[in-house]
Amino acid sequence: MATREPETGWHGENSDVNHLRGRAFEATCLAATAFGLVSVMLLLLFVANDAFRPFSADAGWLATYAATVVVPLAALAVYYYRLDEPAGEVAYVTSGLPVVGLLLTGGFAVLFIELLSVLEWFALLISLVVAGGLIVAHGRLRPKAALERLAVVLLAPIITVFGLPPTRFNWFVTDAAAALGLDFGLYYRVISLREAILMLPFVPTDWVMLLLTLVLPIAGAAGWFVEQRRESRRDGLTVVGLTTAVAVLGVVAGPLLGIGTDVWLLIVTFAVLPLGVYVEGVLRRGEGVRGLAFPVVAVLGVVVGGVVTGALGFAGPDPWLDWGFLTSATSRTAADAGIYPAMVGSVMMIIVIVLTTFPVGVGAAIYLEEYAPSQGLMGKFVTLIEINIGNLAGVPSVVYGLLGLALFIRVLQWPQGSIIVAGLAVGLLILPIVIISAQEAIRSVPDSFRQASYGMGATRWQTIRQVVLPEALPGILTGTILALGRAIGETAPLLMIGAAASVRLAPNSFFDVASMMPRQIFSWSSELDPSFRHGVLAAGVITLLAVLLVMNATAIVIRNRYQRTG
Amino acid sequence: MTDSPSGGLSRRRFLTSSGAIGTLALAGCVQNTSRGDGSGSDGSGSDGSSDGLSGQVIIKGSSTVFPISDAMAEEFMAEHGNVNVTVDSTGSGGGFENWFCPGDSDINGASRPISDAEIEQCSGNDVEPVEFEIAGDALTVAVNNDADWVDCITFDELRQIWSDEAGVTNWSDVRDEWPDMEIERYGPASTSGTFDYFNENVVGEDTEHTTEYQPTEEDETIVKGIRDNEGGMGYFGFAYYNSNSEAVKAVEVKAEEDGECTAPSLANAKDGSYPLARPLFIYAAKSALQREEMYEFIEFYLEQAETNIVQDIGYVPSSAEQRDENLEKLDEVAG
Repeated sequence: MATREPETGWHGENSDVNHLRGRAFEATCLAATAFGLVSVMLLLLFVANDAFRPFSADAGWLATYAATVVVPLAALAVYYYRLDEPAGEVAYVTSGLPVVGLLLTGGFAVLFIELLSVLEWFALLISLVVAGGLIVAHGRLRPKAALERLAVVLLAPIITVFGLPPTRFNWFVTDAAAALGLDFGLYYRVISLREAILMLPFVPTDWVMLLLTLVLPIAGAAGWFVEQRRESRRDGLTVVGLTTAVAVLGVVAGPLLGIGTDVWLLIVTFAVLPLGVYVEGVLRRGEGVRGLAFPVVAVLGVVVGGVVTGALGFAGPDPWLDWGFLTSATSRTAADAGIYPAMVGSVMMIIVIVLTTFPVGVGAAIYLEEYAPSQGLMGKFVTLIEINIGNLAGVPSVVYGLLGLALFIRVLQWPQGSIIVAGLAVGLLILPIVIISAQEAIRSVPDSFRQASYGMGATRWQTIRQVVLPEALPGILTGTILALGRAIGETAPLLMIGAAASVRLAPNSFFDVASMMPRQIFSWSSELDPSFRHGVLAAGVITLLAVLLVMNATAIVIRNRYQRTG
Repeated sequence: MTDSPSGGLSRRRFLTSSGAIGTLALAGCVQNTSRGDGSGSDGSGSDGSSDGLSGQVIIKGSSTVFPISDAMAEEFMAEHGNVNVTVDSTGSGGGFENWFCPGDSDINGASRPISDAEIEQCSGNDVEPVEFEIAGDALTVAVNNDADWVDCITFDELRQIWSDEAGVTNWSDVRDEWPDMEIERYGPASTSGTFDYFNENVVGEDTEHTTEYQPTEEDETIVKGIRDNEGGMGYFGFAYYNSNSEAVKAVEVKAEEDGECTAPSLANAKDGSYPLARPLFIYAAKSALQREEMYEFIEFYLEQAETNIVQDIGYVPSSAEQRDENLEKLDEVAG
């Protein structure tokens, strides 16, 4: 722009204008950017080198894999970038989908191993579906009774999931009565559907329950998606049928491959199904088909590399970050140390944070943006509150840790270092960030939308529910996920609430004592053995970063979709 | 929808037959859920041997004792996979004050005996501490590798350096032939038992421990500080020296001016010739010992404290008599 010759004369044409200052400023800005990027990059390379130790491999091993994997993939990438951009996108998605799918598979596998059995999942899901059915049915039968529906919406899940009254409520009443010296208790209750299913003498095997409650619904969603896109019911049903067939194949194939039927089902649902639908779409559209070569070349390269190095006897690297690291607990010998319990702890903490912070934060943001008075004395008060929410976002995380310690452990007497306490303390920490980002998202919905909605005769509630929230949701989600990225890396509050330095059992419930990834990394940093501080620590950091990157990538994908449609 | 009427018929037939086949198939695919008293309902996270022992043991306390307790936890959990033994290093005093005495932890590691004030705080919360001496340590004074001027130091000189009275800032203030270089002091924080021990036995009661130093809960930080500063000096448990013996230089110590210089080592700590040798303790809450998993763990801990596990970490294991005495005490208290 700056070098473009002006077409007509301007007043400074013949005088000397000194561009030096401007250039110098530009160079300084560039240097600042480069400094930040390069230093972060160097740091990451340094840590990654410690975690993976690529140079502990034979030179021949490195050369083989460079020839079979790195060079072909780099060549393909250059080709896509220069000549075939749609293929580049296809390559990107087809390589990324299986990774995300396998991560999801891992997540569900951990869920079923640590948190609830397949039967409990099955019972819970069936109960929720029945509750949802009740609500829908009520809506159909009595569409006018709004207040009644509210009661149904609240009560139906409680009755189907928790029973009437819930067990904990019974315990609470009985305990309270006992504390008052009364021999009074609620010993009888109507059990919930969930409990009834759990008590059945005979239930389907695990894989059948997974098929019914996980594979079929997701296959159904994929089928519906295909059906919408192609306007062909048959294609949609084909997707469902094929998925089910491949899933059932796992009864035979899973044990043969040594991964078990359940894992097979999860892989089919989360990795194979999305990839299949996407690849089929690409093939049908015929656009960027060459991009499909990328993952094929990658897999072939790895296989060929494996064969060659095996035949020539090249020893591979001995990384700290390997399968054993991801699946075992910490140990006092560095080679055996792993991050599994801490990873499960972190994920469960994130679940607590999402379940508590998201509704509270978004609720507060909706109130502040849509309902709160903006004029008069109350308006000033609201402004004060908003300013203080901004301030709260800047309060050091140690303070939130102390708050968690005082409130949840000392006052409420919850177990110290437990997931629920950690989740709530860190949740409080990111609550202001969630509120502010949700407010921004709601504010960015143009006022004309609201006016138009009011003009159609919609009430304020209808406008918020039907117009503002759908429009703001992607922005809200993006902000929340980025805040969660901050939450997963917080260490100070965990130290304050007494998350222990070494925990070797993964938690089974939210009230279990657990370690979280940053806490575990911190405790490795003070181990006696230097190989903890240089190797295991780096592997932990890389794992944490990988989880963070996945979360941020999700946020970016959501934002991109939003920009495309909006 | 433009199919012939036979389409509808075949569809119904299809539904009926597939329903029948499905029912038959499902009949073969059911499992019995009668599995005892629902003890397995919380997932199947047990990968160790499940001998019925389960529960949780919470250990806090001294960073000096942490490596021992952590090793014990690991060994114990290899045998009893369902007992969750969690270990944390909070410093001896920090552990007593914030976790053990309020009743939030079962065991507190300590690198010094419990103080009267702490016993009082504990009894205020109905927590009765039971003391077990489990190992010995040679508290190590270390300087930078390049500090070739100092090989042996007396208690009196240590007192000058680490008390707040003498006003020592440079090495030459202590001994004239030492260089005129600032002493960079690194030491444990005041919540640490190592601090308490050093304060009591070296700095003495007449003066206060200096505050002109870098206090930390992590012994690793002390080692780093000394390594990176030529005038650096610090003190910590022997195990940290043992695994960092190339990073820093340990100084020999003599208690009296005319005494003999003794190097910190496990052998010297064992035979009592090293003046800074000290016992390490764990304190168990008496009420917690009534729990089966806690009793088993303590018993295991006391038995193993006599073995090479402790020696490998860099501490002096307890003697056979000490172990028997401990086990007797345990029986007495828990019985």
